[in-house]
Amino acid sequence: MLVFAASDKGGTGRSVTSANLAYQRALAGDHVAYVDFDFGSPTAAAVFDVPGAMRGTEDRGLHSYLEGEVAEPARIDVWRQTEHPLLRARPNQSGRLVLLPGDAGGGEFATGEDALERCIDLLLRLHSEFDLIMVDLSAGRSYAVDMVLAATAHPRMRSVPFRWLVFHRWTRQHVIAASGLVHKEHGIIAGGVARGHDEDALRAAIRFVRAAVPDPESPLWSHGSPAQAAWMQACDEALRRLAAEQRIGDSVVLGVVPLEPILQWREQLITEEDVLATQIANKETLEALEEIALRLTDDAYWGRP
Amino acid sequence: MAAPRQQDTTPPAVLACGEVRTCLLPTRQALDIRSAAALLALRADERVLLSERPNLYARSPDTLTGVDCPLPSANGARVRAVGTVAARAALTEGRVLQTSAYARMPATGPDQRRPWGHYLVRPGMVEPLGKLPHEAVAQGVLDGGRPGDLDVGLIADGLLTRLLRHPLLDHSPPLRSRPTRLRWVALPAEGDEGPSIERFTLAADELRTVRLRVPGGTPSADIAGLCDDLALHDWLLTTVVRLLDGISLGAPPARRRPVAAPQRPAVVTALRPAVDHLLHLWMPRARVAKELAPLWEALEESPGFTRQWRTLVQRIRDQLTLHAIASVHREVEPAS
Repeated sequence: MLVFAASDKGGTGRSVTSANLAYQRALAGDHVAYVDFDFGSPTAAAVFDVPGAMRGTEDRGLHSYLEGEVAEPARIDVWRQTEHPLLRARPNQSGRLVLLPGDAGGGEFATGEDALERCIDLLLRLHSEFDLIMVDLSAGRSYAVDMVLAATAHPRMRSVPFRWLVFHRWTRQHVIAASGLVHKEHGIIAGGVARGHDEDALRAAIRFVRAAVPDPESPLWSHGSPAQAAWMQACDEALRRLAAEQRIGDSVVLGVVPLEPILQWREQLITEEDVLATQIANKETLEALEEIALRLTDDAYWGRP
Repeated sequence: MAAPRQQDTTPPAVLACGEVRTCLLPTRQALDIRSAAALLALRADERVLLSERPNLYARSPDTLTGVDCPLPSANGARVRAVGTVAARAALTEGRVLQTSAYARMPATGPDQRRPWGHYLVRPGMVEPLGKLPHEAVAQGVLDGGRPGDLDVGLIADGLLTRLLRHPLLDHSPPLRSRPTRLRWVALPAEGDEGPSIERFTLAADELRTVRLRVPGGTPSADIAGLCDDLALHDWLLTTVVRLLDGISLGAPPARRRPVAAPQRPAVVTALRPAVDHLLHLWMPRARVAKELAPLWEALEESPGFTRQWRTLVQRIRDQLTLHAIASVHREVEPAS
């Protein structure tokens, strides 16, 4: 299964959340590949804590691979090469977790047929090797988005299942932007149809993840005044109405990640240790990530009986 | 009667090297022999070798890739070499795809690059400019060279990429598996000693390296054939070991399992593809030249390839048998 992580704006927590989802699936025993197609600003190495392993791979990343400069993109075995002390002790029965990093100074680039063919080669090879392939895409209607839309519409990929996750923050501007990224005339659906996708099938394969959502019930806000609480409730309700109008209402939401202080400070994986032992992360955050990770492959959440 | 040796001008080789890529063919069903022939028809002027005994096997004609680049070497010596690398693909039982690239090298070559005609009459030979430090180059090949050095693995991978684009493939393999790479070098044996394996290592997750000694005059295609056979069986062992690793015996922590409960017990679902697609592929030495077949004996002795395989097969059968017993008769629940 291919999962594409997209967002309209930066700062939506797309990379850090999708990396956490990949981590959760690997913990559950799946073999997972995390593909960093965020060409503008590859951050996955920081989230997985593999900066040392990145040395020497700067010119063998996905960017160089797609441009045809290297035959095989670099791969980093996260369990083995991470500098995160807890991740190094690979949990028993966990699956592989492999990062395919971008290049250090990648940047967006113009595409041709060759890059598309190589992209398909790569995704097909990963598909034969991994249970889940998480592809992190540059923000907005980027070149990366166009490329994977074309790749998944290609006849060679007809039997490879794929799903899209669109990440957005829980604010007015972000809700409108996320809806635009998917539904507007230059959005993912229109772009996909132009490349040969079936409109209904593509729409059914897109779900939204609301990230950094403040929960008015959370103890974080319990010291606020009654006026603040009432204001937050009203905002939340207004946003729900807006989301529904924008066709990104609850029925197409895969999950909600609560506002998590440690993710605001630092892009990182949230481990059980962070919740139970050091208690620097909230239990709700970990539970939300675990839940979304399971729902990725649970057809009940994708409109299938 | 032995055929007269072609091209008496060809110098004898002091080093042969190659790399084999082995992977599961990404199709739901194994290919039948006719489809295999269509997949492997790399050249219009030469036929695909097809064989049905003792197992289903198809091999493409050799393709040649011209090279002119430095050779990798362990001691930093920069030796430029020119020639052609041979590459071919093989499909075993319509299920396991291998691409294999190899070349042989003489002790000395011309001091300057010759016209291509010189190299084209020596297919699969790469000639150094000057003398070949064959021990250093052998080690350099096994260690992997610097970017720009001769890399026969890239040629094998290029052929694999080309084959994987074939429209016959539906890319829905019955199980997830990892491709492996086996890199090999063969140096001449001392005096009139027979062939031997000096070292067989599992270098990285997917990389194996093999260092051989072979009697002078052993055709490099035969050595490549032996290494293809080693790579195939090593891949089978690796893949089945990983499959068994992936099944969890005993109840896993509930919250870590995907919610969608499968219809069949997870162990049966996980092991079934091995029974359907892999267990019948074990057949060491099926296509190894007679002179090199004794090398397998050493591997059977230690680490004991076939011994490990039999244990794995028995374990799979035991697991499936346990699940076939109706649950009322079980004293202990097998893993679900």
